Amino acid sequence: MSTSPEQPFRIFVPDAELELLRLKLASTCFPDELEEAGWEYGAPLANVRRLVARWRDWFDWRKAEEAINADLLQFTKDVEVERFGVLNVHYVHRRSVRENAVPLLFVHGWPGNFLEVRKVLPLLTASERDQPCFHVVALSLPGFGFSEAPGRKGFAHKQYAELANRLMVSLGYEAYVVQGGDWGHYIAGSLATYYAHTNVKAWLSNYPTALPPQVSTTPWKWLKNLLKPYTREERERLEAMREFQTKGTGYFHEQATKPQTLGYSLADSPVGLLAWIYEKLVSWTDGYPWQDDEVLEWVSIYWFSRAGPAASIRVYHQMTSGFEGPPAAGVRWMSIPLGFAAFPEEHNRVPRRWLRTLGKVVFESEHSRGGHFAAHECPNELVGDVRRMFGKGGPAFGVVPGKDGYAS
Amino acid sequence: MASTTAEEQPFTLAVPDADLELLRTKLASVRFPDELEGAAWDYGAPLADIQRLVTHWKNSFDWRKAEAAINTLPMFTHDIEVDGFGTLNIHYVHQKSAVKNAVPLLFVHGWPGHFLEVRKLLPLLTAGPADQPSFHVVALSLPGFGFSEAPKKPGFKGRHYAEVFNKLMLSLGYEEYVYQGGDWGCALGAHAVTHYAHTHIKAWHTNTPFYRRPKFLSNPLLFLGLLTLPFNEPALAGLQRSQEFMKKGMGYYMEQATQPQTLGYSLADSPVGLLAWIYEKLVSWSDDYPWTDDEVIEWISIYWFSRAGPAAAGRIYYEITNRNTNDLFEGTKRTTVPFGVAYFPGEIAQTPKSWSKMLGKVVFESTHDKGGHFSAFEQPEKLASDLHKMFGKGGPAHGVVPGRNGYD
Repeated sequence: MSTSPEQPFRIFVPDAELELLRLKLASTCFPDELEEAGWEYGAPLANVRRLVARWRDWFDWRKAEEAINADLLQFTKDVEVERFGVLNVHYVHRRSVRENAVPLLFVHGWPGNFLEVRKVLPLLTASERDQPCFHVVALSLPGFGFSEAPGRKGFAHKQYAELANRLMVSLGYEAYVVQGGDWGHYIAGSLATYYAHTNVKAWLSNYPTALPPQVSTTPWKWLKNLLKPYTREERERLEAMREFQTKGTGYFHEQATKPQTLGYSLADSPVGLLAWIYEKLVSWTDGYPWQDDEVLEWVSIYWFSRAGPAASIRVYHQMTSGFEGPPAAGVRWMSIPLGFAAFPEEHNRVPRRWLRTLGKVVFESEHSRGGHFAAHECPNELVGDVRRMFGKGGPAFGVVPGKDGYAS
Repeated sequence: MASTTAEEQPFTLAVPDADLELLRTKLASVRFPDELEGAAWDYGAPLADIQRLVTHWKNSFDWRKAEAAINTLPMFTHDIEVDGFGTLNIHYVHQKSAVKNAVPLLFVHGWPGHFLEVRKLLPLLTAGPADQPSFHVVALSLPGFGFSEAPKKPGFKGRHYAEVFNKLMLSLGYEEYVYQGGDWGCALGAHAVTHYAHTHIKAWHTNTPFYRRPKFLSNPLLFLGLLTLPFNEPALAGLQRSQEFMKKGMGYYMEQATQPQTLGYSLADSPVGLLAWIYEKLVSWSDDYPWTDDEVIEWISIYWFSRAGPAAAGRIYYEITNRNTNDLFEGTKRTTVPFGVAYFPGEIAQTPKSWSKMLGKVVFESTHDKGGHFSAFEQPEKLASDLHKMFGKGGPAHGVVPGRNGYD
């Protein structure tokens, strides 16, 4: 038995946890801030103070919980992973009314969560006349949301792929496509690496990042990369990437090397966790008008997560072997169709030719607005890309045999 | 002397009862993360250690007793005006020797250190054996650390720290003095001598010598020395250790140099978060020092109860590196005042010994077989002995301060 039957799941945070949060929020100690710091030193004090006050006095978690449970039918399932035993996985699962909708796995990243599927879900599963539709599964990654975390070291590319693939197959989706950004991009790539053709038929990433062609693996691409000049746009993007690496990767360094040390803060301090995540929600999006309750709901998923906030950041350590190598090193080029949905404010955007090291790129889009959390910021644009890639006339139309997403 | 007309004020540490009560409340409601099986120190500070320390902090550690002992040190505050930053109230220890012609010495701590690192050195330097030189010791809390005020505006650079040091020493009647520092004490020492070598600073010493790689144009001989590096086993081993540190041990640096405010919310709000953040360095940067729980908690308490709060200290990384766009030595130049270095085996950044020549005119060198980054605390006798040898009769920096050669 590698999976158990699906169990319906409703989020219900125990009263005691709500009480502990209340107690902690009531005794929050704030730091000071330099004059006119703005966003230059991190999340601004005025914003964080305002959010904490709202969280303490106004934000209604029970109401948010009820709405999530109403909007998103959730389930849990035990999934066995070799060497790790059984992990209980939490996921959203919604089927389209169209029987032969394309099965699609949606994978979030950090500091994302399963709720990122909320806005795209009705669009993907809706049976519109001339659009493909999808059966959607959106899991909480192990250690995130309401999924169990692995208890042992070494849960990386192969294990995420195994777990996700077992989940899909156990739901009757022997063949499916994948959409992901951030860690979802690397996990989709891992799914392709281990299960391309047999199960995974195509993947679409909204995180267009990759390593440059290596002489050892793709000598021809490496040579071409050396000889052909970059466009001005590509040079600007490389400069932006360098800027991000210099000024924006403190979180990555710490999470990839000492996640336990940081974890004590994130598990114990609501304001600490809030600031840590909020800073990314704002700086990684393209002027998205975050509502305070939206932010608080998002952070609450981390605060009330099954494994606790410290477990989620271990993915950085595991997928880089403790900062030994880049996460892309675990992804192999496969010949299944690969697409990229590109948004202007995404970080780490690489020249297009580098993306071809990850797979057979058949689809690329370029949007005029949007950032890292595409499904949440620009759901219509992202769904548009999914439909164009998998719809009639699209480069990945009909990749899943017998399930092309249209009425038969 | 015009800008430091205020008298020095005796300082007594007296943490308000309300602060102790708030700490108690927080310790009573700590929420711990989980930990991976067999994690040991691979992911950061181990859970068992942190839980034990929190229990000790809650139930056994007596802050008032520690405070009373700290208050037996001769401590003062003094308003120091800093160009562009107004007045900063600076806290320091000032222990005069019974020897009238003792050498005035400024001791400068680093991060996550503090002024109490001078504690074990004081008797050895101010009241050592008669045949050894004596020192009048001044050990300040850096602005933003311990009980010194923090700068309120952005842009507090190396030259501003140097200005604080120099004005403080001048205000105490020490027109000419010597300097000893480790960690930031070393980098800031380079800044201090850049501005005040010869005029005021007559010699300096560091127990954490490190510097940037030699460039061919500025240091051709040392640069060429890199070619023989593969054949210099001890230097190579040291460099590899440094590279390992640069790869796996710089998370704290990257976050503090780029988003100190974001991190600061955690450190200001969560005692366990602060404890773990610092304790991880106390252990991994020292050379098997047998930390007692009381020692650790007292150390952390200086940060927790610090005047500017725990979030302020990390800003030094941001300001000096200009948000990680330059290294710690930007703006410094090599000077020709006598310079001494002590090499301790447990030091984290072990650049080849020849590179110390780039930092200053090395007249004294010692190599120890025990001790790490916090050598004043771990191996006070060894460090004191180095200073005795450097400044004592027959030593290479004997008599550098006219009229104050350390002997009556």
